[in-house]
Amino acid sequence: MHEKEAGVIKMLEIKNIHKSFGQNKILKGVDLKIDKGDVVVILGPSGSGKTTLLRCINFLEKADQGLAVFDGIDINLKTASKRQIHSIRKKTAFVFQNYNLFNNKTALENVTEGLIIGRKMPKMEANALGKKALDKVGLSEKYHAYPSELSGGQQQRVGIARALVINPDIILFDEPTSALDPELVGEVLTVMKNIAKEGTTMLVVTHEMSFAKDVANRVIFMDEGVVVEEGSPKDIFVHPKEERTRKFLKRVLPEDFTYYI
Amino acid sequence: MSEGLDYKFLVDTFFVALSGVPIALAITIVALLVALPFGFILALTRINRIPVLHQFAQIYVSFVRGTPIIVQIFIVYSSIPLLLDSIFTKYNLEMNVYDVNPIWYAFIVFSFNTTAILIEVFRSAISTVSKGQLEAAQSVGLTNVQAFRRIIIPQTLVVALPNICTATVNLIKATSLGYALSLQEITLRAKVAANVGYNYVEAYIDIFLVYLILCSLVEYAFKRYEKRLIKYKAVNA
Repeated sequence: MHEKEAGVIKMLEIKNIHKSFGQNKILKGVDLKIDKGDVVVILGPSGSGKTTLLRCINFLEKADQGLAVFDGIDINLKTASKRQIHSIRKKTAFVFQNYNLFNNKTALENVTEGLIIGRKMPKMEANALGKKALDKVGLSEKYHAYPSELSGGQQQRVGIARALVINPDIILFDEPTSALDPELVGEVLTVMKNIAKEGTTMLVVTHEMSFAKDVANRVIFMDEGVVVEEGSPKDIFVHPKEERTRKFLKRVLPEDFTYYI
Repeated sequence: MSEGLDYKFLVDTFFVALSGVPIALAITIVALLVALPFGFILALTRINRIPVLHQFAQIYVSFVRGTPIIVQIFIVYSSIPLLLDSIFTKYNLEMNVYDVNPIWYAFIVFSFNTTAILIEVFRSAISTVSKGQLEAAQSVGLTNVQAFRRIIIPQTLVVALPNICTATVNLIKATSLGYALSLQEITLRAKVAANVGYNYVEAYIDIFLVYLILCSLVEYAFKRYEKRLIKYKAVNA
């Protein structure tokens, strides 16, 4: 059952998520709501828990406490069963900072693996979808290239195609451009902008302020394991309420960064 | 002894030695079939520090590596018959332990031995595959078993293959110790043939050649296989 509020479909809600590594408290009770079609960007200094939050949502880390409401179904982030974890992973996709393409598979095989093996789709059908996804990220020439033959930007675009192809409810991006050479960042951001325009629901951890400004409809600022402030890009970039947010933005925004309304 | 080599004997005995190859290969293949899966699984228990199993694997490796194979053979060959005999007597089974084909003892010793070696081979190979590969597989909806079968094991194998080849060749050579079990393998057959006319030099040359040929063929096969597996890697160089 979808929970409807004024025509908005709530897709994912995270309640009170906690996570520590040893004595180190990384997440201290984070809440998060994402509606269908949202592009939410999480900003924050390194060590603020952004990546951990994303990884906990996809069960790449097990949270110490917390609840995820996915399509109206409650799932405890600490005690979820293997089947629940598997079902969430099938509805979400993850784009990694270091791409994490399967080294022993070609670009096309990387993209179709989740369809053929994870979802038992016939190979012909999967290949057609896989090629379409690679076309969308501008890699029509590279179907049969291995990751070792691709540049970082191309690898990350395969990573995005691999996430897109399974038609997930939401794609989680974990600093998708921060391992790239500066001249390769643009091609990946362009792809991300395009898929955002098509209405893909996205939760993006990034340091690309221009992406947050131009593409996000909501920006969350995290620091020391809590959400400090959230709002529209305009709220955050032009009228930040919190001192911590202001300090952070002053530090990271380029001199010529202006917010056009 | 100035007659030089007995060439006829040399040639004849070569084929006698050659007739021991199936037994050497049988032991090698059985040992590998046992050791590959067990070695892999125990290597995983070591990497993931699974309690009990991880310590067991560590101690096991130390024991096997720290003792000569010939001693392991003596221990198995002398203790297992006693053990079996007491079991047979206890349950009144009409079986004679001394009818057991000695090849079974060879299977046991060499399987144990190779498992220990492959635990270490796989342990280092698995740790070269980044954790991100498993995470990526999970994130596209693969189960752990699928992820290992499709993504992790193929990449592990490429790294492990040269060492598996070395282990296999060492194993083939070590089967010559089967003569201590009166096993009709390469070495024993040639030695028995030599006993008749004291043509030991010829017999040893034959043994030497048979192992050399056998091991070279195995190495070649591994190289071919490696080339096939590695195709995704080389292109960038």
